[in-house]
Amino acid sequence: MTAVTDHDHTDHMERLDHTGEYAGDYTSGFDSGLTAADSAPDAVPEPAHAPVHAPAPGAAPDSAGDAAQGRDGTEGEPPADLAHPAAETENVPHARVREQREPADGDPATAEDAWDDGLIARRVTETSKPAVPVLETRGPGAPAPVPLAYDGPLRSRLDALRELVGLSRTRLDSHTLAEAGRVLDEAAARRRLSGQHTVVAIAGATGSGKSQLFNALAGVAISETGVRRPTTAAPIACTWSDGGAALVDRLGIPGRLRRRPVHNPEADAQLRGLVLIDLPDHDSAAVQHREHVDRILKLVDAVIWVVDPEKYADAVLHERYLRPMAGHAEVMFVILNQTDRLPGDAADLVLHDLRRLLDDDGVALGEFGEPGATVLALSALTGDGVGELREMLGQFVAERGAAARRIAADVDAAADRLRPVYATGRRAGLSEEARDEFAARLADAVGATAAGEAAERAWLRNANRACGTPWLRLWRWHQKRADAPTGRLQRPQPEEEATARQRVEQAVRTVSDRASAGLPAPWAQAVREAAVRGSQGLSEALDELAAQAGLPPGRPPRPGWWPVAVFAQAAMTLLQVVGGLWLVGQIAGFMAPNLGIPVLLMIAGIVGGPLVEWGCRMAARGPARRYGLEAERRLREAAAGCGRARVLDPVAAELLRYREVREQYGRVTRAGAGVG
Amino acid sequence: MVTLDVRPQLLDTLSALRDRVAAARFPLPLAGAPRARANRDELLAQLDNYLVPRLREPDAPLLAVVGGSTGAGKSTLVNSLVGRRVSEAGVLRPTTRTPVLVCHPEDHHWFSGMRVLPDLTRVWVPNRDPGDDLLLPGENPGRVLRVETADSLPRGLALLDAPDIDSLIVDNRVLAAELMCAADVWVMVTTAARYADAVPWHLLRTAKEYKAALVTVLDRVPHQVVSEVARQYGALLTKAGLGDLPRFTVPELPESAWGGGLLPATAVAPLRAWLVHQAQDPGARTHILARTAHGVLDSLKARMPELAGAAAAQHAAALRLTSAVDSAYDSEHARVRSRLQSGAVLAGDALKRWRAYPLDCAAGELLDALVESLAALLLCAVTAADERVDDAWRREPASAAPGLSGRDPSLESAEHRIGLAVRRWRRELEEYAEDEVRELDRSVAPDSESVAALVATALLGGRRTKEAGERLAERVGAHGALRLRDRAGRLLTEHVDRVVHTERERRLAPLDALDVHPEPQAELIAALSVLQKER
Ligand SMILES: Nc1nc2c(ncn2[C@@H]2O[C@H](COP(=O)(O)OP(=O)(O)OP(=O)(O)O)[C@@H](O)[C@H]2O)c(=O)[nH]1
Ligand SMILES: [Mg+2]
Repeated sequence: MTAVTDHDHTDHMERLDHTGEYAGDYTSGFDSGLTAADSAPDAVPEPAHAPVHAPAPGAAPDSAGDAAQGRDGTEGEPPADLAHPAAETENVPHARVREQREPADGDPATAEDAWDDGLIARRVTETSKPAVPVLETRGPGAPAPVPLAYDGPLRSRLDALRELVGLSRTRLDSHTLAEAGRVLDEAAARRRLSGQHTVVAIAGATGSGKSQLFNALAGVAISETGVRRPTTAAPIACTWSDGGAALVDRLGIPGRLRRRPVHNPEADAQLRGLVLIDLPDHDSAAVQHREHVDRILKLVDAVIWVVDPEKYADAVLHERYLRPMAGHAEVMFVILNQTDRLPGDAADLVLHDLRRLLDDDGVALGEFGEPGATVLALSALTGDGVGELREMLGQFVAERGAAARRIAADVDAAADRLRPVYATGRRAGLSEEARDEFAARLADAVGATAAGEAAERAWLRNANRACGTPWLRLWRWHQKRADAPTGRLQRPQPEEEATARQRVEQAVRTVSDRASAGLPAPWAQAVREAAVRGSQGLSEALDELAAQAGLPPGRPPRPGWWPVAVFAQAAMTLLQVVGGLWLVGQIAGFMAPNLGIPVLLMIAGIVGGPLVEWGCRMAARGPARRYGLEAERRLREAAAGCGRARVLDPVAAELLRYREVREQYGRVTRAGAGVG
Repeated sequence: MVTLDVRPQLLDTLSALRDRVAAARFPLPLAGAPRARANRDELLAQLDNYLVPRLREPDAPLLAVVGGSTGAGKSTLVNSLVGRRVSEAGVLRPTTRTPVLVCHPEDHHWFSGMRVLPDLTRVWVPNRDPGDDLLLPGENPGRVLRVETADSLPRGLALLDAPDIDSLIVDNRVLAAELMCAADVWVMVTTAARYADAVPWHLLRTAKEYKAALVTVLDRVPHQVVSEVARQYGALLTKAGLGDLPRFTVPELPESAWGGGLLPATAVAPLRAWLVHQAQDPGARTHILARTAHGVLDSLKARMPELAGAAAAQHAAALRLTSAVDSAYDSEHARVRSRLQSGAVLAGDALKRWRAYPLDCAAGELLDALVESLAALLLCAVTAADERVDDAWRREPASAAPGLSGRDPSLESAEHRIGLAVRRWRRELEEYAEDEVRELDRSVAPDSESVAALVATALLGGRRTKEAGERLAERVGAHGALRLRDRAGRLLTEHVDRVVHTERERRLAPLDALDVHPEPQAELIAALSVLQKER
């Protein structure tokens, strides 16, 4: 561990120079301002010096006094000033923050007071520790840091998720949506806080060396390490630059557990913006420790998992944490610690095995430039490999992308968990066949086919009667009298239950089943409810329809040849009568006997009558068929229209609502649409 | 001092109890079911692998099972106790996948047979190069027990190196639990880094609950901190009420780290001495055997009622599922009957046919339409009942059991079955009509099909078809009409009842196949009380 025992003003000056050197790299002067202020607490070697220490915060008055120098970015200065250019290029919230900070800008004295305030240097009680961890404090008037900005895609995904939750409230229970709501809340909360900082938690099993690594990175023994298991009982924070206090507040870490790293210009510049959290363990019998870990892991931007050769394959670690968090690989470091305890090349073997296990967990490994978890072996005790981690961490923090990537991974995870209630991977919707089948079933329910056939036969019967020979009609009439109660072609009076209820019910059930087939359960339920609601009163409406639309109103239409046929039949009868009368006349002696013509006339009439009748029957078939079909069609259409309006339309509306939600869900997932 | 006296009656009741436990099933996925299944398996393992063989043969060697977390140094410890490499040790976690049992050559017969751990295949490699792969090819490492012999072990003591209890390999965890159940002495190994881990503490608590003979080894403690770590571990044990546990500390030595070799004999000497003493001193031995055996017997008092409770919960859940089906089908059955009464069948096509009959419609057509309409009514009732069942079952976690969930995929075949039943009714109805017509005077006899159609109409049309009844009476006489109607009505009821019954049985069949009965609960409790009396 790096032990820094001595700070003096030369060091401080050197540091300021250093800051100046780096100022060009930072996007805002705000940062460099913080750096200058940062160095202040570190410059205090012991409490006795505290009063004298004014010069350290005094860096601020210096710089504030020399505005020109400050603008050059060579020195710490009131932060808001140089933040402007950065803010201008960014989005609206930033602009607002800038405006809020305007007064501070106008009155440097206020800022100066703020810096002067509440800096407490404290030596940790442990005498064996050579370095001096400093309690982090924040002046009451400290300027708000530049908040985090999410990039366009992430912002729109978050908006989509918010809208999705809103759209689904009525259909899904709050329990299902809780996780998505939490992600939204956390994303909003994180966004309000500093975008310059990256909160990284060190997590792992007890005794893996989390605290040791934490101390190694901080360069000072901040967190207690030891042989007692478990050692660390509450999370401890270490902040590399100012302005991250609100982030630590969010984690619920009390002031007495916040420290600053030991002052070391090079390391400070490297890890600028890092907020490191040492967590308690997650696997000991102390349950509160795990609760701390579970709570904080949801809030931090990135996690360093520390494993050791003894525990790296523990089920708790993999099953409880790594597998569920596999989607967060990009904001994950997995560190195999205590390599000094492994002989020879065993470290490589173990590291290889660890990679294999991570791969099995579904954690993407960041190799060959691909995004994924960084896996490293090191020894926190000997410091072997810590430099490499520091370098990677520095790069990681400098990118400032972790917070957004974490939120994006959270959105992914929430979307994944919601997948079963939004997407089934099957096509949903009401097919044309299903609609047709529904109409056909309703037509069956009102008896359209039978009605059509009955109408056809009745028409045909009437035609036959009209065009039949009178003798046949006479005979039939006689028959009818003998066989009294038949032949009731009464108009159907509106009667209750002309429609088959069971068929309507079954039709509605079938169509709602078809419509909800590819849907996730809640939406399928909604579709079914819509169908059932629509089907109430459907049977009664069909009853009425059947009564009205049953038969074309008025007399059945007659084809043009009908009068001719009737006339021909009459003529035939007339021929028979004339022939008969003629014969009778001859027999009676009225007329000259001439058998030939009357017999011919009579024969013509007798043969012609049935002939005409037969011809008419043949000719009537077509019109009868048309008449029947027309009756059937009218019923069918009426039933289908009724069914469409009452059932299919509400169902389609519900399906449309689902499709909207489904599209919204597609917008939430990273891939866009996804399946189904 | 407790002693181990075993009467044959006790053994009999114990094996009866064992059979009851083996017969208990928890097929419904209730909240407590996985736990109950695990408890049952554990109890069964303990009865089969430990209690019954131990009570049968009190002279068998003492079996000490070395268990603990992965990387705790179990294999190294066993190797060091034996004095040669019998079990692999290595840096990769977990190393041991095959349990290894070591005993004196003359004790070999006790373990080569299936007396204990009968469901593990025995592997015995008499002459093996130390560098060889210890696994035989083609063996599932999970279900194999390797039996080794070593002269360095005293007679009457066997050591078993178990897989870990907490690594990612699920098989290891399951097997380790099973092996611990077979132990006379549980040797729990933990390390300086592990002694506060939650998982091993669960195991310690279980051991305490079962009053098993238990000894813990604090392994791999760095030299500098031996006393401090040992003190802290001791404090934790005392706090957990295990302060009087025999406790041994083995320091971590550079030459032994990570499976490199064997610990020096001095490091494990106290543990070895303790084990040897337990095995060879008759008093200590009896004490230990009795303690673990009585512990298991005592634990039955709590574990059997727990199993019985879970069995009862299963049965209650099955009852709820069944009654949901019954009430759904009952109410649909009632609805069908009332719909039949009110003449619902004579609607739609059937009604249109009836209106056209006989001028524009043949008797056969009318009968067809009626039969179809009746089938539609029945199908509607059956699907409605299924839907109700689905609704009710959705609220029951038990309905997620495989085979139960999901809508009956054979809806088409329900339609088919109902169609068959209805057509059979029609055929029988026509036969009745023919019978009736045959009795009439030949000259005035109407054709039997129209008689059948009129009967069906009169029967299915409710009040609306008084006319059909009248016409029927005209044709076959008032008496004949009445008789025909009665017979056909009875026939109809019979067929409808049968259809509903068949469909209900089909719906219940998968549930019945799960075989959840009330008996296991009572039998488990009864077996326990018989055992209590015998002790
Ligand atoms: N040999 C070796 N020992 C280490 C290393 N890292 C940590 N240790 C030791 O391991 C022990 C535990 O380290 P801690 O840092 O307290 O472990 P922790 O993960 O913080 O444990 P808890 O706070 O209990 O969760 C200490 O005695 C450390 O000195 C390492 O790289 N090599
Ligand atoms: Mg710690």
